[in-house]
Amino acid sequence: MNSCPRCQAAEDKIRVEHKGLNAKGELVWTIFHCEECSFTWRDSEPAISIDYNKREDFFRVYPEKPYPVIMPPAQYK
Amino acid sequence: MSEQKKELSDKAKEVAERIGSLRDFLEFLEENGQCITWTDETLPEPDIRNVAVAAGRDAMNGPAVIFNNIAGYPGKKLVLGVHGSFTNLALLLGHPKGTTIKELFYDIISRWGADKPLLDFIEPEKAPVNENRLTDNFNLYDLLPLYRINEYDGGFYIGKANVVSRDPRDPDNFGKQNVGIYRIQVQAPGEFTLLSVPAHDMGRHIMAAEQDNVPLKISVMLGNHPAMCMFAATPVGYDESEFAYASQMMGSPLRLTKSGNGMDILADSEMIIEAELMNGVRSFEGPFGEFPGSYSGVRKIPRFKVTAISHRNDPIFENIYIGKGWTEHDTLIGLNTSAPIYAQLTKDFPEVQAVNALYQHGLTAIISVKNRFAGFAKSVAMRALGTPHGTMYLKNLIMVDDDVDPFDLNQVMWALSTRTRADDTIVVPNMPMIPIDPAAEVAGKGHRLIIDATSFMPPDKLGSDSKIVTAPAGPEIDEIAKIIQLLQHGEQS
Repeated sequence: MNSCPRCQAAEDKIRVEHKGLNAKGELVWTIFHCEECSFTWRDSEPAISIDYNKREDFFRVYPEKPYPVIMPPAQYK
Repeated sequence: MSEQKKELSDKAKEVAERIGSLRDFLEFLEENGQCITWTDETLPEPDIRNVAVAAGRDAMNGPAVIFNNIAGYPGKKLVLGVHGSFTNLALLLGHPKGTTIKELFYDIISRWGADKPLLDFIEPEKAPVNENRLTDNFNLYDLLPLYRINEYDGGFYIGKANVVSRDPRDPDNFGKQNVGIYRIQVQAPGEFTLLSVPAHDMGRHIMAAEQDNVPLKISVMLGNHPAMCMFAATPVGYDESEFAYASQMMGSPLRLTKSGNGMDILADSEMIIEAELMNGVRSFEGPFGEFPGSYSGVRKIPRFKVTAISHRNDPIFENIYIGKGWTEHDTLIGLNTSAPIYAQLTKDFPEVQAVNALYQHGLTAIISVKNRFAGFAKSVAMRALGTPHGTMYLKNLIMVDDDVDPFDLNQVMWALSTRTRADDTIVVPNMPMIPIDPAAEVAGKGHRLIIDATSFMPPDKLGSDSKIVTAPAGPEIDEIAKIIQLLQHGEQS
């Protein structure tokens, strides 16, 4: 089970981006991306960055909530 | 500032002619003991940030660090801290180690301008950056050793790219073509977000393209001539070319060529990512540890799609550590932030001697000025708040006399200790302010603080023990100080 460490989106929203190999071609780490909140992470990172329970609450993202939009396209209509 | 222009030294000319690219500069730094290679196996997180922060502790003499053994990225190279110390900047401008920040400031002032650009144009097929070209199957995660700069960043950032865009309403205008540093978050193997706001030149280009529903093409230059980065981060006039400024500062031609999507680019950069704005699309971006040392929050921002990538053989990925100061960001933009404020102030007030706006892009600045009459420094401070950069950034201003070197904080503290009266401070409330000031009560507004630490003159009242010792000072003493350094450390360059 691999949910988003930041917004807890379920596995079907998580994209495998890239696998890092060593010079012998062995897997070293994998990069994931959450399609819900745009968080990107590598599975070799310290827990403070990629463990939902160890991350500070302040940095949680709730994709359904409104966030500031930079140069909102609607302004042109 | 053009009247102050002086001929470059032979050493400055020699260095400028030698350095045509990031690679040339790294070699030059290495010869001078200012670039090291970290050969131990390095985890992308947290090792890269740990090494970067440790190397950046010495703002005066810290080295650039090349990583060539990053786990999962065999054969890839990353460099941090290229502009991480004032000695690195001194070497770029042809000065020896031991050059003071004040000397660098006056040198940059004397080179400032865009009226005499030195630009050579070469055919794209002859440009080193086009040694390799990709037109599909882009994977930025594979091409670049990407990593999380600070532990709560929202993703992997390219923090030192110089982005070229053209005004979609005046696409043939060379001056309105913009080169700027904007933070880029990789969002997919071939897509990224780029943070710009309406106040930026790039923001204007994005809004114009979306309003007119025309494509906005950009070229993201990575691993650039070290002078380019300094001016990409400098707010020059909208119709002034950053290429022109960078070449004029070096006093030697920059080699330009055309990117596949029609931008003028540096021919000797490590990599060019050509991309196109996805009109109307906004994606989650951030947080990102920004230059005040705080995270700027999550926003929805414009997104770009990669259309082609050119790169040199074995490209070097140049990035930056940015966060709680002091960081490379402060050294990279500090003097180029100070110089335009000085230029604008001296137009009206030639009594201004120097401007030190090195601290967090000028959130704190120190201005030295020769008081013309009592209270004069306060008027100069008010004028500084009204300069283009001052309007949003100059939060704390310390005014010192012309006998105080504003770049020497021991001298500044002396002035504060001996020349400040508590009622000689001014708070200007509810002024505009950059939105990412972590001390702000309301983002985008804040109070300004002026501390007048200049000496008193009539009709100010003077205390009985106010006579200052006349200590030996001036170029002769500066020279003796250098001789003492040489006697202590030996010839270093």
